Amino acid sequence: MAKYVVTANTVTLNGGTVSPNVARAELVLNSAEVDVTDFGSDGWTEVIGGLKSGTVSLDFHSDFGAGAVSALLEDLVGTIGTVTLIAGNGTAPSATTPRYTATVLINSFTPISGAVGDLSTFSVSFPTSGPVSYATA
Amino acid sequence: MADITTIREGLATNLGTISGLRAVAEIPDNPTPPIGIVNMESVEYDGALNGGLVTYNFVVTLIVGRAAERQMQRKLDSYCSPTGENSVKAAIESDKTLSGEVYDLRVERATSIGSITINDQTYLAAEFTVTVFA
Repeated sequence: MAKYVVTANTVTLNGGTVSPNVARAELVLNSAEVDVTDFGSDGWTEVIGGLKSGTVSLDFHSDFGAGAVSALLEDLVGTIGTVTLIAGNGTAPSATTPRYTATVLINSFTPISGAVGDLSTFSVSFPTSGPVSYATA
Repeated sequence: MADITTIREGLATNLGTISGLRAVAEIPDNPTPPIGIVNMESVEYDGALNGGLVTYNFVVTLIVGRAAERQMQRKLDSYCSPTGENSVKAAIESDKTLSGEVYDLRVERATSIGSITINDQTYLAAEFTVTVFA
């Protein structure tokens, strides 16, 4: 595996594959900065890692077909869901196609979006809740 | 989703619902007006992950009739109208999923409205840009 062009990363939401309706997927993991600067810091700030957090951002193509993504998300706002993302254009976890599993708060959904003539799309950004796991098998 | 030939034929089928207009999915050797010819211009792949969206851009070339003939301009007007029984836009969009073969389609614009020369004859013609999401 080397550098790769994104065409087929796998995205699931609550166990269902939503990849064909996803144009962009992003998982960001953060750590808070805790300042531990003191008189011994020799004039520099010093920080250590604090609480970790994450965000899953997805750009969807709207689809109100039975069981499709818009119909799915409509009933999930305000609930905790599970998102998995497999990198490297993979469909199963491996060393070169790691799978990230995040429990997220589904806190937004935009059922209607788009100007005349545009493909109807919407974007979401879900905060993670609890640890984000990482698997290679 | 459908293959390109199926999409092309579906567009021709929709276009062919205009009374008196011949619609073909492939470029004929000697087009006899009035005729609508479906040509594919470009394909945009990977609009979504796992091949979830492909965008096809078609151009439908409409050859109305000899420019010298009376009524041809009015006929061209009716083909270019957004609505009406001769509207190319309305006909192509009459079944926007091509019998479930594509997600959606839209006739975006009519351009190159004017005359073209075929076999030393001048014809009135127009090109319709069609975007198909599949």
